[in-house]
Amino acid sequence: MPESPLALIAEVTHRCPLHCVYCSNPLQMVSPLSELTTEQWQRVFEQSAKLGVLHAHLTGGEPLAREDITQLVSSARKHGLYTNLITSGIGLSEARLEALVKAGLDHIQLSFQDSREASANWIAGTRAHALKLQIAPMIRRAGIAFTVNMVVHRQNVDHLEEMIELAESLQPERLEIAHTQYYGWAYKNVEQLLPTREQVRESLQKIASAQKRLEGKIRIDAVVPDYYARYPKACMGGWGRRQVLIDPSGTVLPCHAASVIPGLHFENVRERDLEWIWRESESFQKFRGESWMPEPCQSCDRRTEDFGGCRCQAFMIAGDAATTDPVCSLAPTHGLIEQKLAQINDSAPPLAIVGQEQFWTYRPQPK
Amino acid sequence: MPELEDSSQPRLATGCRWTGEGANRTLLYPEGAPRLPGTARAILERCDGQRSFAQIVQELATAYNASDPTQIRQDASAFLERLRQKRLIDF
Repeated sequence: MPESPLALIAEVTHRCPLHCVYCSNPLQMVSPLSELTTEQWQRVFEQSAKLGVLHAHLTGGEPLAREDITQLVSSARKHGLYTNLITSGIGLSEARLEALVKAGLDHIQLSFQDSREASANWIAGTRAHALKLQIAPMIRRAGIAFTVNMVVHRQNVDHLEEMIELAESLQPERLEIAHTQYYGWAYKNVEQLLPTREQVRESLQKIASAQKRLEGKIRIDAVVPDYYARYPKACMGGWGRRQVLIDPSGTVLPCHAASVIPGLHFENVRERDLEWIWRESESFQKFRGESWMPEPCQSCDRRTEDFGGCRCQAFMIAGDAATTDPVCSLAPTHGLIEQKLAQINDSAPPLAIVGQEQFWTYRPQPK
Repeated sequence: MPELEDSSQPRLATGCRWTGEGANRTLLYPEGAPRLPGTARAILERCDGQRSFAQIVQELATAYNASDPTQIRQDASAFLERLRQKRLIDF
């Protein structure tokens, strides 16, 4: 019997006023016409709580793009879930925030694209930065837990110290500094976003020194870039093991990216109970546990720590979802990652001019 | 950062709350949800912003039938300091 998932990631819509080039949404986004209704989401929260889920992360797209977001928060909280809103902030007003807090929202995570306005707007593909600066103090005053999230990559990581200073001035309890993970739109832009080895090294030093300096004041959690790691990340804490994601149309996935893997049929909460999907469905069992593992994972001591890494990355880079994650230095396909790193580190990568929109591919609106 | 003193009144930080009962008693916070074993839970459940640290130590000493509260004071203080660094406790 698989354990219960601890967290539900509810992608309540793929609509978003921002067009971030590092977005983890799939290239095939869900149309607004196919989104679950308020009642269907309410059923999802009820079924999640019954299954043992503790955290509901309401995300998107931009979750505030849903008119009924307060009702969704209220429902998640009513079923006992710890309710987190992952937002760009765009669409938040004093009145709306007050309603969300009243509905039981526990935590807001607000994202920033850079410390410098021109660059932040260039990365987001829209003028959002100044608005975010107005919204952050509003969140701080609302008396709920507040995390600032900074997504870093080659085009902004050199400003990391400034970004940390900006976060500090907004007084969150927590700062998440996340190196971009290469899925969805981020993978499409990987050549423009992948940092150099030197940039990664420097960023980790800056993070460590900020952690020390801000100890007891702001807790800093860092997401390291796995292309430069020796061993893969324990993606989602293992396939179908800790987390479950439901996309705007109700399709149930083990992670943000799994829809790229061909030959897997993912069930939908419109047709099946979440508990059955989690425990019994073929897609959730496919890479659960260890029996699917190839060598070198099968005989590796780390298999219970990293679960063979990321299945989506194995498919995207090596063309086979059932092979060891190519970022692992022990993987037979690791050369493919080394090639990507060599492109960035050993030759001149594409030169960026802040504001130049043709430099990369923006995430469009779902139609 | 203020030191933890006998008169401090530790409390769960904003965004931390309890859920579940008995063996399922769990502390919820933004990126975690540990089920807490005996002593950790005994300490944290007393961090209500009302009780002073001295009072908490006294209660624990009684609850655990300890002859020497010094060790309890030391352990509880180290534990709460660690949790403050994670921004789960304020005092």
